[in-house]
Amino acid sequence: MLKRKMIKNFTWPLKTATREIEVTRLYPEFMMNLPAAERGIHELDATICIGCGTCARVCPNSCIEMVNFKFGSPLKNKKMQFPQIDYGRCMFCGLCVDECPVECLKMGQKVTMAGWTREDIIKSPDFLATKRFSAKEVADLEAEAKRIAAEKAAAKKAAAKEGAAKEGAAKKPAKEGAAAIKNGEAKPKEGGAA
Amino acid sequence: MTNASEVLSSIQSAFPGAVLDSRVESDRRLWATIDSKKILDVCKHLTAKLDFDHYSGSAGVDWMARNEMEVVEIMTSHGAHQVVAMLKVKTPRDNPSVPSLVPLYWNANWYEREIWEMLGINMEGHPELYPLLLSDPLVGSWPWRKDFKGYPDLTTGERAVAITTPEGYTDYYFPPTQAEVEAGTVVAERPKYPTFLEREEREIKSDSEMIMHLGPQHAMVPGPFLLDILVEGERVKKAFLDIGYIHKGIEKIMENRSWLQGITYTDRMCYVASLTNNECYCGAVEKILGLEVPERAQYIRVILEELSRIQSHLIGTGEFLTLIAGVGFAPWQYMIIDRERIISLIESVTGARLTHTFVRFGGVRNDLPEGFAEQCRKDLPYMKSRIEEFIDLFAQDPIYHARMENIGSISPETGKRLGCSGPVLRATGVAYDMRKEDPYLVYPELDFKIITGTRGDSADRIDVRLREMLESIHIIEQCLDKIPSGPIKTEAKIPKKVPAGEAYYRVEDPRGEMGMYVISDGGDKPYRVKVRGPFYATFQTLTPLLEGVYIADAVAIAGSMDGCPSESDR
Repeated sequence: MLKRKMIKNFTWPLKTATREIEVTRLYPEFMMNLPAAERGIHELDATICIGCGTCARVCPNSCIEMVNFKFGSPLKNKKMQFPQIDYGRCMFCGLCVDECPVECLKMGQKVTMAGWTREDIIKSPDFLATKRFSAKEVADLEAEAKRIAAEKAAAKKAAAKEGAAKEGAAKKPAKEGAAAIKNGEAKPKEGGAA
Repeated sequence: MTNASEVLSSIQSAFPGAVLDSRVESDRRLWATIDSKKILDVCKHLTAKLDFDHYSGSAGVDWMARNEMEVVEIMTSHGAHQVVAMLKVKTPRDNPSVPSLVPLYWNANWYEREIWEMLGINMEGHPELYPLLLSDPLVGSWPWRKDFKGYPDLTTGERAVAITTPEGYTDYYFPPTQAEVEAGTVVAERPKYPTFLEREEREIKSDSEMIMHLGPQHAMVPGPFLLDILVEGERVKKAFLDIGYIHKGIEKIMENRSWLQGITYTDRMCYVASLTNNECYCGAVEKILGLEVPERAQYIRVILEELSRIQSHLIGTGEFLTLIAGVGFAPWQYMIIDRERIISLIESVTGARLTHTFVRFGGVRNDLPEGFAEQCRKDLPYMKSRIEEFIDLFAQDPIYHARMENIGSISPETGKRLGCSGPVLRATGVAYDMRKEDPYLVYPELDFKIITGTRGDSADRIDVRLREMLESIHIIEQCLDKIPSGPIKTEAKIPKKVPAGEAYYRVEDPRGEMGMYVISDGGDKPYRVKVRGPFYATFQTLTPLLEGVYIADAVAIAGSMDGCPSESDR
């Protein structure tokens, strides 16, 4: 009785083992199919990143740091600061992606990131940026940023002058003038900092 | 059916003046502040007259600004009604002390030990007030108090001073630095109590008895914990359990992280049940915020939580069956192959295999991808056939029966008294399931039944889990048919700062009843998060169950609980 009962327990594995052939994944020769929702290495769209640092603030492990990077848009990202991610600490929770106000940070299907040292897996925006401007485009944008800043400063100066003229010369003309000059100086400086 | 206001009026009429403050949140939630002198009488009254036969746990809260501490006793019922009574007992902050409930409820033991070691609230009348989660050098620093300054850094090896113990072993001692003494991170005065070793050795009565260690690394429960059994011959005379080997202080960490960041920490309590942990935390915060979750999001949550239940039961059962090896076949490999399909389904939605961080306040992170329903309809019937095969195989294996049947049997009364929940309790025949008991999400609209066993032994626990998987498949199939289209996140803006309030939310974890007690003081961080984990309660029942069994059965009993020390240690 005992023997007869046991037989199924031996035949079943044999049957199953021959039926299910492919169980082992042949990684790294063959990469498995990852779903579209996969949370892998980040992909940064540097052309639309505004450098607000929300991702760095929301990160539970504080693995994101905002660093300087040249190939972004100086029009949107005045300080030219982009996220750098320490994958030694990242736990791929995706909060940075969810909280990004302009949706420039995404997580892709790329998952290989091994390095020889700890510094190797701190990935700079240069590594993360899938979309970026070329050096020439950046120069053009910078020039435009400068032009816009100068225009703004000029407009402000004109407005300040007008206001001063309207209100009469007695009411704090010196202070307003100083403020306008300050703004005019500060704007191009920020654009050129990159 | 009893509701919360009836319970309140019953307490008020039986003990005039005992209820200092009260709030009826809904029919199922009662918040009341009870005079600490009368708490024992009130609890006795609740249990005797109002069917509150389930002591679900307790939480300690340090209200530093009000200069008082609070112990919240969570009282529920095993199916007689759905009211959860949250009874608060207040005590002054200097020299805090509240009456212990251990004389009334056996399972209050661990909860109160935890409150004592973490907050320093003395439990009057507690029989064994020893630390549970903390290691001995840290007891006395009361880490969950709000004015706790941090542990001294005990990680640097250079500071260690070797000392030789009287037995000839080498032990290490970390002398505090001057800076640490000034910062106040060093324990000034350590309470006196017998250590774990001393408590064990006290029990050795004759030369024929000896202590056997199972752990801290033992495969019967995946995770470090120490089970010492006092054996005489082949029989276990007494069992001692020491946990806290992976105490991560998640509750304290969550007090220092923003509300949103807290979700990632709930994942790490138990990674095979991370979706239900997410759900529990988010549900509690949604309750405080008063958020309404869109219907589609609720269905997505239910689908994923049931998928997560299937994979958790598969790994729990399969891993356990490797321990009672020699059952004629090795189901572990087959279960892990099948689990891979479920994991792939979950991954295609959440983007992660285990730590999902998927549930959000008022919704979910992602929508179901294209072709998810088709893939589910393809995989689930296969899973169903496989699970039916497993049930068939277990039912006819004589060795399996010899190892599992009538081993570690729990009667329904004992199960209720010991306070366990989930498959362990359901195997005894008590139909206690949060999905029916404290309905959440869209579970009331779905058709499913609670799986129960009859004998309450190890074999029944496995059987309940296997049949529960079939029930989960049934739930998912209904959800796929019923799921409406619509938004997956609430329209309302979720504020960075959650308004002041408190909530207790319960979900059915794969391992049983999981509750989270979340308090907000109106800030951008939780004031207090208390996790009432299911395995914490089940773990506690292990020591009485092991008394009198054979050594070999200790593994069969402990393993069939489907444990996770990571979650019980938090």
